[in-house]
Amino acid sequence: MNMRPEDLHADRQGMGRRAFLKGSAGLVVAFSIARPMAALAQDASAEAAASYASPDASKLYAWLAINPDNTAQLFTGKVDVGTGVEIALAQIAAEELDFPIDQLEVVMGNTTQTVDQGPTYGSMTVRRAGPQIRNAAAAARAALLDLGAKHFGLPANQLQSVEGKIAVIGAPDQSITYGELVGGERLDIDIGATGTGFGMEVAPDAPVRDPSTYKIIGKPIFRRDIPGKVTGEFTYIQDVKVDGMLHGRVVRPYGVGAELLDVDETGLSDIPGFVQIVRRNNFLGVVAETEWAAIQAAELLGSTLDPAGPSEAGAKWSDVKNLPPPDQIWENLRTVVGGNRAAANGNLGSVDLALPFAEKTLKATYQTPYQMHGSIGPSCAIADVKADSAVFWVGSQMPHTTRDDMALMLGLAKDKVAFNWFEASGAYGRNGLDHVIADAAIMSQEVGKPVRVQWMRWDEHAWEPKGPAIVQDLTGAIDKDGNVIAWRHHMWVPTTGDTRLVAIEEVGGFPNIGRIGQGGPTITYAYSFPNADVAAHGEGRVGVITCWLRSPAQFETTYAMEAFIDELAAETGQDPLSFRLKYLTDQRAIDCLRAAADLYGWEPRPSPAPQQQDEKIARGRGIAWVNRDDARVATIADVEVDRETGVIRVKRVVVAHDCGLVVNPDGIMNQIEGNIIQSISRTLHEEVAFDESRVTSRDWAGYPILRFEEIPEKIDVVFVNNTPQYPSLGAGEPSTCPTAAVISNAVFDALGVRLRQMPFRPERVLAELEAAAAL
Amino acid sequence: MSTTINVNGHDHTIEADPDSMLLYALRDDLGLHGPKFGCGLAQCGACTVIIDGEPVRSCVTPVSSVGEAKVTTLEGLGSTEAPHPVQQAFIDEQAVQCGYCINGMIMVATAFLEQNPNPSRDDIIGALNDNLCRCGTHMRIVRAVERAAKAMQTEGAQV
Repeated sequence: MNMRPEDLHADRQGMGRRAFLKGSAGLVVAFSIARPMAALAQDASAEAAASYASPDASKLYAWLAINPDNTAQLFTGKVDVGTGVEIALAQIAAEELDFPIDQLEVVMGNTTQTVDQGPTYGSMTVRRAGPQIRNAAAAARAALLDLGAKHFGLPANQLQSVEGKIAVIGAPDQSITYGELVGGERLDIDIGATGTGFGMEVAPDAPVRDPSTYKIIGKPIFRRDIPGKVTGEFTYIQDVKVDGMLHGRVVRPYGVGAELLDVDETGLSDIPGFVQIVRRNNFLGVVAETEWAAIQAAELLGSTLDPAGPSEAGAKWSDVKNLPPPDQIWENLRTVVGGNRAAANGNLGSVDLALPFAEKTLKATYQTPYQMHGSIGPSCAIADVKADSAVFWVGSQMPHTTRDDMALMLGLAKDKVAFNWFEASGAYGRNGLDHVIADAAIMSQEVGKPVRVQWMRWDEHAWEPKGPAIVQDLTGAIDKDGNVIAWRHHMWVPTTGDTRLVAIEEVGGFPNIGRIGQGGPTITYAYSFPNADVAAHGEGRVGVITCWLRSPAQFETTYAMEAFIDELAAETGQDPLSFRLKYLTDQRAIDCLRAAADLYGWEPRPSPAPQQQDEKIARGRGIAWVNRDDARVATIADVEVDRETGVIRVKRVVVAHDCGLVVNPDGIMNQIEGNIIQSISRTLHEEVAFDESRVTSRDWAGYPILRFEEIPEKIDVVFVNNTPQYPSLGAGEPSTCPTAAVISNAVFDALGVRLRQMPFRPERVLAELEAAAAL
Repeated sequence: MSTTINVNGHDHTIEADPDSMLLYALRDDLGLHGPKFGCGLAQCGACTVIIDGEPVRSCVTPVSSVGEAKVTTLEGLGSTEAPHPVQQAFIDEQAVQCGYCINGMIMVATAFLEQNPNPSRDDIIGALNDNLCRCGTHMRIVRAVERAAKAMQTEGAQV
């Protein structure tokens, strides 16, 4: 039987049309999995009664398919959000399966073909999904050895796997490929699976390899997506077209939480290709035959870069002021009702009882702004909603979860809703990609045709979930010998996990779709001060939807913790590295700090650096570290500050990174470089602007990010504890965390002034210099 | 109305509002994936194409303004089978994370290297400065353009 891969599943949903590339040579291997999207949509509608259920995780075919030509597919519910994690998962599977990696394709995120392994977030893909995939592949190799035993009439222990073949030990000419052994059959084998999502245990009895024998893991194998991406052959979600599809655009309220009072449709019907508006309570969208017509129609209704007011365009919105005054953002956080929670290890002794014994007590407040994900490509999705089923094309980081949400919204069973996943523009957390799915669903349901919705730049900037503003108060008490006797770190943190959808809130109802959540003490406190009080005042939504943005809240809490410890070191005239080491017992953290210092060439001395006070350019160095979900990162940077302009430039960055065993070193290097550049951008430039009605940062002029002229000259990276005895941890986020503290500490080293509010724009630097001079 | 534009060496006749932007003609009428919608405001560079040798932001270029000019998109430079030296350099340096901005980086770099075959690192940084990358792939992108410049010089020397 000559099965095509898509026939291996009962459903007929297609897989990502992804160029499948042979190793690092960059050659495309023609793989007969690509089916035109138009045909796909027809299949879906023709078989509307079919089940779109996700496969059963306890079956081997839910994870792997092996084809007669000895190619294979790995199926994973994880997706690639632009990090390149696809190749790492392929390496894990190929290693365990003992299979040529250039013959193994990875199918990601399609809900009808993949198991829900939890959302792709929190640097958890290699760490959590990796072992699930490893065990499934190990079970497959064991099953292939059993098939080989039948084929050769020998016990399995006289056989071995050799890169996609089962061979008789001692008789290498006696071998058969996996593809021949499987004979085109579906791998209908029970491997066992318990639990769900991140915690799912797959094939617990599978005989996994000894990590010290790894041959594929640890190699800098090239990514498969890059040749297609640099030639325009790759299909992003923004590129997908479905037969008969119309184009939609959203018209969001002028102000957050405004009511739609009226829609003046004058002029819409004059736009060639305009189809109709879609209005459901406060949700408003337009549908047209062409993208250009949809953009024109949305503009007439008020979707523009600079709308004149709540009722100046076709859509008439109530005039609301639901947001706090912009100059009171942080004060407002202190007044919001919420819960209180201590950080792990963050409640030791009694700070209040220790304070009277202090020789000196320092207090400082750190303020960080709302920030945005700022994806370069605005969010996009296609929905084809019918009475009894729905098919979606999405770029979501959590396709299974959002499939469930859409089933709820549309009143359909989960197995009547299919999500086809395609990679989108990088997301760095939860941007608009899930929200736009609901927008497309509502519009498709209303017009009875497939509708593609892409947000405009201002929709993405204004309505993507933000990283929340946070305010943090710190107190440090020092005795007469310069020892820290008490440490208090209180943080006011709005939710970083608000998964309510904009369209749902505009339509109203559906309380079970998404949740607002509550902020918490997102920090790993590891210092050994005798008295400590580290706690968060966790809040729900404050003003706008806030949801996970790369290292949610921990970028901000690391900034405050690691800048304030620098303040204590400087106050007591101690070297900032030695000072930290004095209070650390975490060996992996110590290893990272020392590795970074070695690579940098750190010479102990207190801050600030001795400077020629009359030099225009001041130079300084800074250090900080983090433990984010067990991955440790220590960062050191050199900065230059122009005393006249206040401009900060980061010149050299050194990163020591411990995420355990590295699966693909070049992939992680790429991630670390990206984390560093993006976090420099967040530190120096980024702040969402508001008025009391709305987000006023609606384009790149209103929300500047780092440009090429500001990149460091060098980013040097050293991997720490990259050995088989340390299981792989995440690398997508941790190296973001130390950067703001590093730069703040380096600026203090250069100028003797402390930056306690992000971003460190030139005017803030000059204001601090002026304030210091006035003292 | 009906308009003819020359894209990647071929004339294409499309039905388009003359005020509509070239980007939508390329993506929706010609089915090209290279040029991307990023901002529609000429701020990010994801939509860049080369028109008569110059990098142009197709998101703010009306179809009617193209006239007889020759438009080159990312697809017109090379393919995965036969990549352009700049594309090959981006592969060799693995200078992509999500890759959504990379179209603009490659189009600007290609036009730039045509006019500046022997650039310094600062020249390259200056040329790319108006293009935004959110993943933070800048270090690799600069290295890729440096590598491409060298490769194209060697190639030129062999001709």
